[in-house]
Amino acid sequence: MSNKSPLQKVLIYLFALIVFIVSVFPFWWMVVSSLKPAAHIFSSTPSLWPDTMTLEHYLKIFLRANFWVYFTNSLIVAGIVTLMGTMIACLAGYALGRFNIKGKNLILLTILSVQMFPVVVLLIPLFIVLSKLNLVNTLVGLVITYLTFALPFCIWMMRSYFSSIPAEIEEAALIDGCTQMQAFRKVVLPLAWPGISATSVFAFIMAWNEFVFAVTFIQDDRLRTLPLALQQFFSRFTADYGGVMAASTIATIPVLLFFILFQRKLTKGLVQGSVNT
Amino acid sequence: MRNKWLPWLLLSPALFLIVSLTVYPLLNTFFISFREYNMYSLVTGMSEWIGFEHYKQVLSDPFFWTVLRNTVMLGFACVCATMLVGLLVALLLNTNFKGSKLLGIVILIPWVFPSIAGGIVWRWMFNDQYGVVNYGLTRLGLDMFDGFAWFNQPFTAFFVIFLMVVWQSFPFIAVSLLAGFQSISSSLYEAAEIDGANSWVKLTHITLPLLKPLLLILFILSTIWNFKIFDQIYVMTEGGPARGTYVLSLYSWSEAFNVLNFGKASAIAMLMFLVLMAFIISYIRLFREDKEVRA
Repeated sequence: MSNKSPLQKVLIYLFALIVFIVSVFPFWWMVVSSLKPAAHIFSSTPSLWPDTMTLEHYLKIFLRANFWVYFTNSLIVAGIVTLMGTMIACLAGYALGRFNIKGKNLILLTILSVQMFPVVVLLIPLFIVLSKLNLVNTLVGLVITYLTFALPFCIWMMRSYFSSIPAEIEEAALIDGCTQMQAFRKVVLPLAWPGISATSVFAFIMAWNEFVFAVTFIQDDRLRTLPLALQQFFSRFTADYGGVMAASTIATIPVLLFFILFQRKLTKGLVQGSVNT
Repeated sequence: MRNKWLPWLLLSPALFLIVSLTVYPLLNTFFISFREYNMYSLVTGMSEWIGFEHYKQVLSDPFFWTVLRNTVMLGFACVCATMLVGLLVALLLNTNFKGSKLLGIVILIPWVFPSIAGGIVWRWMFNDQYGVVNYGLTRLGLDMFDGFAWFNQPFTAFFVIFLMVVWQSFPFIAVSLLAGFQSISSSLYEAAEIDGANSWVKLTHITLPLLKPLLLILFILSTIWNFKIFDQIYVMTEGGPARGTYVLSLYSWSEAFNVLNFGKASAIAMLMFLVLMAFIISYIRLFREDKEVRA
């Protein structure tokens, strides 16, 4: 940066400012709109700042009996998917990152190509299978299907993380008399913690935001997740922008918080997963 | 490492899930696309084998070709713009200006944004009467945007969808490319500087050639993601006006879960898969002057 001319510096900061505004503006606009009284929302000269703040839209949302149900559903599904997905991805990632097994490349290729299929290609047979198992319109059905699409990338992230931990550390533990599994539990897992937290945040974000499976498999209002409830709410009350914005804000805050808390680890994990191929 | 069966034990849950919920369904979609499979078949498990009937019907339907054209054009525009913006932002972050670390975090906000909430916000920003975008453009003196109805015609509706998709997908590309830049040793650049290379030459002769494998993977990933676009369209336009913003994923979904014609929907899904594969194979060909590409 030091060897740049003043003009270059100005251009760099100008571009940075544009990127910043583009990235945060929709979020900003959502929050501002959710805090404006209805009369101000529908104005042909919108102000970029809520002149009069009101929580009426939030109250309206919270007083809708079912809102908490949707929130809880989302939390349950995303929570279970995160726990199970991270555990399964940990084991699989360790196996692929540490052992030389027959057919490893085939397995890796399968895992990668799973990412390739547009979800729509899988939806129809999954719907048929789930209806045979009586799992359509249940949260269990959602958890199972979410695991499928969250797993490949999680395994990929974990694998690259485990391969970055020197094998000597484990070997030392084995020489000290640990079994392979003990060495994994006591030595490798603690070291892999940053990778594990990145993977679980990623799984949580994916499961929290997912919509296609939810709209396909869930018919009961009481089983809706937040994105599905949002879409329904939006298509029914197109005119209630204040309410829709408040609900969208509440749906966005958890993932944003999660992301901000773990952003450094997540970014690293993502990059390792995509760069270390 | 010792222990022959242990890794398989560790892999078994993941493999079980992936095979039973992805590999099996995929084969199943393939078979269903040759059958007359509807709600009745779903209940009874009975369906009639009809060969290529669905494919014939779909391929002779002009609407399918319209949707295919929409999908390819939207997908292609999104991939190109995403890669270009991602590259520019990565170069920006790489200059290490004051605050670049913070900006690197801030740009990921669109990426974590739930796409349904994002779609609703974008729809609101582009509202004809009260939208902040029309207001801003009018204030800049572009009077034609006063009350401009973005979602009343397919082309402008697609344009908004395109903007939103790029907004959501450039951060991942930018962050990955930035990591790629930082993996290149600085001695290469120093050597180039001694030979009198400027920034542009360094970018085109050192950075991009070295990052070819990474660029290929990012191209493939964003192609896959952008061909899957569904949520954004579902929430912003529901495929309207008059099915004008249908893409293949939405078409297949609607054929299956609105019309309940699972056979035809599977045929559309298979065709979509073939198109995607054709794209990816041509990418790999384009990039493969050197055999650098390893999965």
